[in-house]
Amino acid sequence: MRDDPHVVALVTRASGGDQGAWHELVDRYAPLVYTICTRYRLSNHDIEDVGQNVWLLLVEQLGKLREPAALPGWLATTTARECLRVVTAASKAERLGTGLDDSVLFVDDTVIDEEILVAERNAALRAAFAELPPRCQQLLSMLLSDPPHSYADIHRELGIPVGSIGPQRARCLERMRRSSALAALGEGEDKIDIRGGEPGA
Amino acid sequence: MRNDWDDDRLLGALRQALRAREAVPSWFIETGRSAFAWHNIDAELAQLTYDSNEDRLQATVMRSETASIRALTFTSAHLSVELEVTGNSLLGQLLPAREGELEIHTRAGEISTTEVDEIGCFSVDPIPESPFRLRCHTADGTHVLTGWITI
Repeated sequence: MRDDPHVVALVTRASGGDQGAWHELVDRYAPLVYTICTRYRLSNHDIEDVGQNVWLLLVEQLGKLREPAALPGWLATTTARECLRVVTAASKAERLGTGLDDSVLFVDDTVIDEEILVAERNAALRAAFAELPPRCQQLLSMLLSDPPHSYADIHRELGIPVGSIGPQRARCLERMRRSSALAALGEGEDKIDIRGGEPGA
Repeated sequence: MRNDWDDDRLLGALRQALRAREAVPSWFIETGRSAFAWHNIDAELAQLTYDSNEDRLQATVMRSETASIRALTFTSAHLSVELEVTGNSLLGQLLPAREGELEIHTRAGEISTTEVDEIGCFSVDPIPESPFRLRCHTADGTHVLTGWITI
């Protein structure tokens, strides 16, 4: 993973006191922290507790982060540690060995590593999407909605002739592909399984 | 990201990325955003270095019951904060003994203050129900902030 200049800038601005930059960092990495909490099957109450601790720790670390590229790794490790603390406390309170099986207590490091890669790729894709012109964002959103909109719906909503939807979709995606937000991702990310493929359009 | 991803693959990846963000509840985002209030707090952080609960939990595995006075110690480079729960109140002492003022910050964002006497003793009464942390300002200008405490 290379240093994403955008993330470096966010960390620098946030540690200088820029609240907007902090909000962007939280938005970018909240899915990573949240997903790891769900891996530990925590209750919402515990997820809030873990989240609070993780973000507070990050606030305290902001000025000390020398390599912002290491941020997702740091967040994932810290979240896993906090989750483990909560799970261990619950299991101790039940006098050990009751109710919780080992698979909850020990989430494999490779699972965490994969979550980091997926989170970075997802964050880059969302950033690239956010850079698209509103028209492209609307079109892709409609194509990605669940259930997907038909071309007739898209024509009605956006006024794009049905015959132009395919070519416009291709142009929007090409624009995304060339975006600087995606350039920060290194090779190897395409090894990750993409769940939920695109139905033929 | 390789530039050789075809359109369907890119669109599939984008769908997954947007779904992952939608799956995060708004209260979770809010929790993260509000943590910024603690940025640049002018205080040394005191880490939890002792918690009697940890001891007692270890002990219950081996024995039946032990006396249960909750005691906690937070330590920073210049000051440690000793805490003990007695009935409904929390008694504490700064070591080395320092006179000063103590702020009690709750998760809910409420702040109350109490005096620290000349031998470093203070009391927090009543004990906050939500997690809280203590910020000490001593007369000689040391500022120390503890980690979060749940009694």
